[in-house]
Amino acid sequence: MTDFHYIGKETKRPAGPDKAAGKAHYIHDLVRPGMLFGKIKFSEHPHAHIKNIDISRAERLPGVKAVITAYNTPELRIGFLRDNFALKKDKVRQYRDEVAAVAATDPETAEEAIRLITVEYEPLPGIFSPHDALKDGAPLVHETDARGRARSDNVLPLRFHHESGDLEVGRSAASHSAEGEFSTPLVQQCCMGTAGCIAEFSMSNNLTIWAKTQIPFLAQRDFNRALSDMGLGGRNTRVIVPTLGGGFGSGLDTHTYEYIAILLAFQTGRPVKIVYTRDEEFAFLSPRQSTHTRIIQGCDSEGRLTFRHVEVLQDNGAYTSWGATYPSVMMLPATSLYRVPNVYFDSKLVYTNNTYCQAMRGYGNPELTWALESNMDELAGEAGIDPADFRMINCNEPGETTPMGLKVSTCGLKECLESVAEKLDWKKKHGKGKRRGVGMASLMHVGGSGRIYRSDASGLIIKLDDFGNANVYYGGIEMGQGLHTFLTQAVAEALGIRPENVIINPTDTGTCPWDVGTHASRGAFMAGNTAILAAEKLRRRIFEFAEELFPKEVAKNIKKLQKKDPDFKAPDFDVAAAAKRDRFELKDGFIFIKDAPAEGYMRVELGRLLRAIHFRNQGQMLTADVFYDPPNELPDFEKGYGNISATYAYGAQGAEVEVDTETGEVEIIRMAAAHDVGKVLNPQTLKGQIYGALAQGVGYALYEEIQSHEGRILNPDFRDYKIPGTLDMNFPIDLEFIETDDEYGPFGSKGVGEPGLVPTAPAIANAIYDAVGVRVHDLPITPEKILAALNKK
Amino acid sequence: MGRYNYYKPLSLDDALALHDKIPGALFIAGGTDVMVKIVNGDIEPSALISLRSIPELSGIKENGSTRIGSMTTISELIEHPKLHKRYPVLIEAARRHSGPQIRNVATIGGNLCNCSPCADTATPLLVLDAKVRLRSIEGSREIPIEEFFKGPGETCLSSSEILTDILLDPPQREARAVFMKKGRVHMDLATASVAVLLEMEKNTCRRARLAAGSVAPVPLRLSQVEELLEGNIISSELLDRAREISSETVSPITDIRATEEYRRRIVGIYVRRGIERLLKK
Repeated sequence: MTDFHYIGKETKRPAGPDKAAGKAHYIHDLVRPGMLFGKIKFSEHPHAHIKNIDISRAERLPGVKAVITAYNTPELRIGFLRDNFALKKDKVRQYRDEVAAVAATDPETAEEAIRLITVEYEPLPGIFSPHDALKDGAPLVHETDARGRARSDNVLPLRFHHESGDLEVGRSAASHSAEGEFSTPLVQQCCMGTAGCIAEFSMSNNLTIWAKTQIPFLAQRDFNRALSDMGLGGRNTRVIVPTLGGGFGSGLDTHTYEYIAILLAFQTGRPVKIVYTRDEEFAFLSPRQSTHTRIIQGCDSEGRLTFRHVEVLQDNGAYTSWGATYPSVMMLPATSLYRVPNVYFDSKLVYTNNTYCQAMRGYGNPELTWALESNMDELAGEAGIDPADFRMINCNEPGETTPMGLKVSTCGLKECLESVAEKLDWKKKHGKGKRRGVGMASLMHVGGSGRIYRSDASGLIIKLDDFGNANVYYGGIEMGQGLHTFLTQAVAEALGIRPENVIINPTDTGTCPWDVGTHASRGAFMAGNTAILAAEKLRRRIFEFAEELFPKEVAKNIKKLQKKDPDFKAPDFDVAAAAKRDRFELKDGFIFIKDAPAEGYMRVELGRLLRAIHFRNQGQMLTADVFYDPPNELPDFEKGYGNISATYAYGAQGAEVEVDTETGEVEIIRMAAAHDVGKVLNPQTLKGQIYGALAQGVGYALYEEIQSHEGRILNPDFRDYKIPGTLDMNFPIDLEFIETDDEYGPFGSKGVGEPGLVPTAPAIANAIYDAVGVRVHDLPITPEKILAALNKK
Repeated sequence: MGRYNYYKPLSLDDALALHDKIPGALFIAGGTDVMVKIVNGDIEPSALISLRSIPELSGIKENGSTRIGSMTTISELIEHPKLHKRYPVLIEAARRHSGPQIRNVATIGGNLCNCSPCADTATPLLVLDAKVRLRSIEGSREIPIEEFFKGPGETCLSSSEILTDILLDPPQREARAVFMKKGRVHMDLATASVAVLLEMEKNTCRRARLAAGSVAPVPLRLSQVEELLEGNIISSELLDRAREISSETVSPITDIRATEEYRRRIVGIYVRRGIERLLKK
């Protein structure tokens, strides 16, 4: 397939008009008959024993239907390490620990009831930095593990490690080396739509939950387990996903508020809705982890990398979500961005009394690339090589297998670097100083899904109706990124119908086949591959039926024409003889024989043929279901080896900045971005993905940080958590897409959901260094940090 | 959030009478500060008295001098056909006030009565020597805006007084003014802001007015810098001195937005740059 009808072209977003008109139903808009409003009482200490919880006054408040604590509900352990609880007993370990919850007839009563709950605490010494967590005699955040075994330290029992080649050989082969320590802050996903859910039980104790999730099927599994823990073993959960106002990774695990809504709904027998306010979203939803990375790299006199040593320390916070597995992705750039023969990678995750963390776009990659690409410039400086040339010397190439065992099918990194250098006028502008500078950074990321779970699959069903419409049931999540737009295009393209005849149904575990989740930039990759497979199945069946039915319909066409015009002569073409399954084509919703005369009456509309298939003796309706598990491997993370993705995405970004050395302010003059996307599926959606991610990258570089003091978040609002606005993004972004036409990607494409923010921060930092000769090692690069660095210089 | 009654009187007299009758009632203008405080539980008024439908408080009148009704929204200031020519410094500041949606409801009176040290319209009004008119049941009074601000969130308004008008003298032909604001991002509360107004006679400064925001308990006149500049030729040395004095005379705090040292630094730099920019005009 190279001559595409819809792929590569702009297609309208199916839900666009509804969203613009306020008709799309977000969790905030949903109401169920008899619905109650849930509210959570959070801890007032970062680390303390719970001495007593008094709920009596709350229970007596009119309108309150339930007040629950860990003492009057079944224990629900959550998280993949089972170290978290829906409601906390005996001890709180972070400010956002849930100690009680209420369900009431209206939100104001629920809020009032929360105020009436009093909790007595006995404060304990807390740990607020991962370095302190590692000290001898540090207080233990968890005294025991999930199985009740005593713990002796605050280190999580998760090992992500890689060693390849011989680091000593690499060190001695190095003529130059550079060492640096880099850190990244806690940052928030900042979804426009805050988190929330509605939980509802039927009389047979089956649960329906409307959840803001990116993993409906893993959530179903988690919730079924909770039902079992509630004594409802064998009962089932149906997860329905409403319109999502952004995900960015925040929906990649189940959340305590969901379990609390489930407990409240069960207790009251009524639907219960919990939706976070913006303040709650900032203070009580998990952000991106903070990291500390130490990196040393060396190169020979020609500038070829000889070794790389990377150690990462992550602040996990008080409990564990899937976000703790960031190092599974950090390993990719650590081992495989640029060709480096001798690599050491190790990571350590520790518990603290800070807010616990979760997934966010890029999943460890922006954190690691921040250190790696900053250090690449440091090393280039040591070696006296232009940083752009230095990257080209070490550039990855198609066909290589990296130290981690990643099989690089296609790789456009070289073209990306060339594009960025050209767009920035690199040779002319680099190294001139005078407060203006240019910098660049590269990235690699999974581009063909990423196997971090036992299954990396997605299923898809297409049900054809009597009118030529394709009803699609897919478990992947549209969260604003444009998945349904592309799914519409993919089904239209692969099946041969018009996009307006593709209907994407809401994501619902009751109707859609299993899907591991919309993460790892896999949305379009998986949707496209499943759509292609399902369409092929349907085309085969349509063409089989057409052998018998198509000639009859053409005969009807001709008869009709002859009735109108007695002189009409049918062409000299034997339709019945030509009606063989391999000679049919279906395009734009019409079936025809490829080598037949291109006349209107020689074509049959798909709906008409489907009706002919359906409405006759022993008729049929056509449905196709497929289940696609991509050709990748679950790596051995303790050894750091395995081809985690079917293909890999590459890219480079560059920035030109001007630094005000008096105020420390950084002005971005322009940015350039070039991404190996395999194939452009939809230009507008793709640009949206890259521009949006790049803006998040600018925020990560210059502005964003959840500030906290002893575990308490100090800026839980957009007043003091600053993200770049349109006026901060008021600079040209020169964007180029490199099409490498990957064999594994649908229509040649690669996943690009996350890459756009991965190299942004180091590109900006490298440009700042080029401008004023100072390097800030901890994000965000604030004016005050620049001034401090300039003062030291 | 507590429950409260909401009143929308149609005249100033009704508003004042209502306030007199209801203990704990609070006047509300655009609501962009008051509502935030209520939602955060910082204040719990028994009733809100909206000033939105009181004709006396709206509109901009010009006959030589200018009278801006306190319920004029920030957007109305910006969109007014003449204000940006007569008092460009006020409009520059209004453009840097929050974002379009908030500017559509936030009022200039509310911005002043909220009395945040970072109120964007305060520093330009200080350098323009604006006066404010206050009205209570007893009558009305007029005071220079400098005397209006008493402390963080504290004005000289008594709880039963309403700020009705902002009064500006006709612009002096020789006066030039500039507003500068530093935020962490473009749309932000000021980390520090500076307004500078100069009347020059050739190279000599005849009159200077400087004010700074977010660097003291109230929006602050920089009188010492004014004295330094007035009657003098503005030399590079004088600029350095102006920068130094500005940084020294302010009394900023360290908070989540910036450190005290950074605020002092920015004020000094902006004073110097502001004057330089005006000299180039």
